[in-house]
Amino acid sequence: MDLHDNLSMRRLLTILIMVTLLPACGRNNVEVTVNPESGLQSWKTRDQDFSLELVPLLPDFVRAVFGAKGLPAEVVEAVSAYCVFGTIIRNQADEPLSYDMRTWRYVTADGVEHPARPKSAWVEEWREQGIAFRWTLLYEAQTYAVGDWGQGFTTVKLPPGTQFDLHYSWQQGDRTHERIIRDMACAPATLDN
Amino acid sequence: MNASSGIWPVRLPRSITSALLLCLGWLAMPLPAAEEIPTLSTTLTAVDPVEAPDFTLSDMDETTHTLSDLRGNYVLVNFWATWCPPCRKEMPSLESLYQQYRERSFRVLAVNQWENPDHVFSYMGELDVFPSFPILFDPKSEVSERYGVRGLPTSFIIDPQGRIIYRAIGGREFNHPDVTTLIESLLGKGS
Repeated sequence: MDLHDNLSMRRLLTILIMVTLLPACGRNNVEVTVNPESGLQSWKTRDQDFSLELVPLLPDFVRAVFGAKGLPAEVVEAVSAYCVFGTIIRNQADEPLSYDMRTWRYVTADGVEHPARPKSAWVEEWREQGIAFRWTLLYEAQTYAVGDWGQGFTTVKLPPGTQFDLHYSWQQGDRTHERIIRDMACAPATLDN
Repeated sequence: MNASSGIWPVRLPRSITSALLLCLGWLAMPLPAAEEIPTLSTTLTAVDPVEAPDFTLSDMDETTHTLSDLRGNYVLVNFWATWCPPCRKEMPSLESLYQQYRERSFRVLAVNQWENPDHVFSYMGELDVFPSFPILFDPKSEVSERYGVRGLPTSFIIDPQGRIIYRAIGGREFNHPDVTTLIESLLGKGS
């Protein structure tokens, strides 16, 4: 085993330890995992009824996805300039529930609340440019019946690497449930940072 | 701008398209690797019956299909795209369901979004089982918009009178007993 192998082994062990320990260190209802290839953290709630998973996406990945749809370069660049998460929401309850991301807030360390940019705003902007595309992004407000779920990109105007707490909520019947996922972060500009 | 006019302006050889698709598959890995795609659900939601918007769309062979021509059958309309991981995951089970009930007044129409036939044909070649139900193309997403589809995949079951009676948002395991029991019960009513 040479020096390179040793370094690789150390790196692998570090990643394995992080993957093992981070979920246990997750706050309350949140499971934190690390992508062993990118080293990026992702977050998944453990709430019984409303399941939320957020995976930070590198700007280059976002460019590749939107570029593959044949969208104009300015559209691709505009989306990739945002802090983007691969987002999965699932109704695990035995009754319908709904969410509205327009009420969610990304709160940075300076206390400023940043709203998500809703899909409808992107779609309207594209429509004004004559672009009919309306996929890949997760719709900002939906009602999910039992077993329904969705996945897509969500966007917030924050610089790469920004740390924040996510204040999110959902409705079941006449009840509104509010939760916080602390110490989240946007993906860095590149993995080299 | 739409898929037919701006996205795929040149007809690429299928081998090149396949290679591009493989590359895109790799690009898609960091988001939800295949094993990380959430488990498919098994329930469909009954909705108040409402007339299904009619449509006429072309398949990969440019043969047109009109929904209202299928009156008298139960029709599962599935809105999907190849870039959508849960759409890909549920497709084999949709074929399985279709094979199980195709002789009993049950039809499937898979309505692709924002892609062209060459692209989708290459994707189909990568599947273990080539879907035998019609793959239709809605390149400007006009039909999905009329159905109020907000995300992919979304599926509807339409009754023999042409009314939407069930809906599913998100991927489903269509050959699960929960679904087949439902289809059996619907077909039993119709017989």
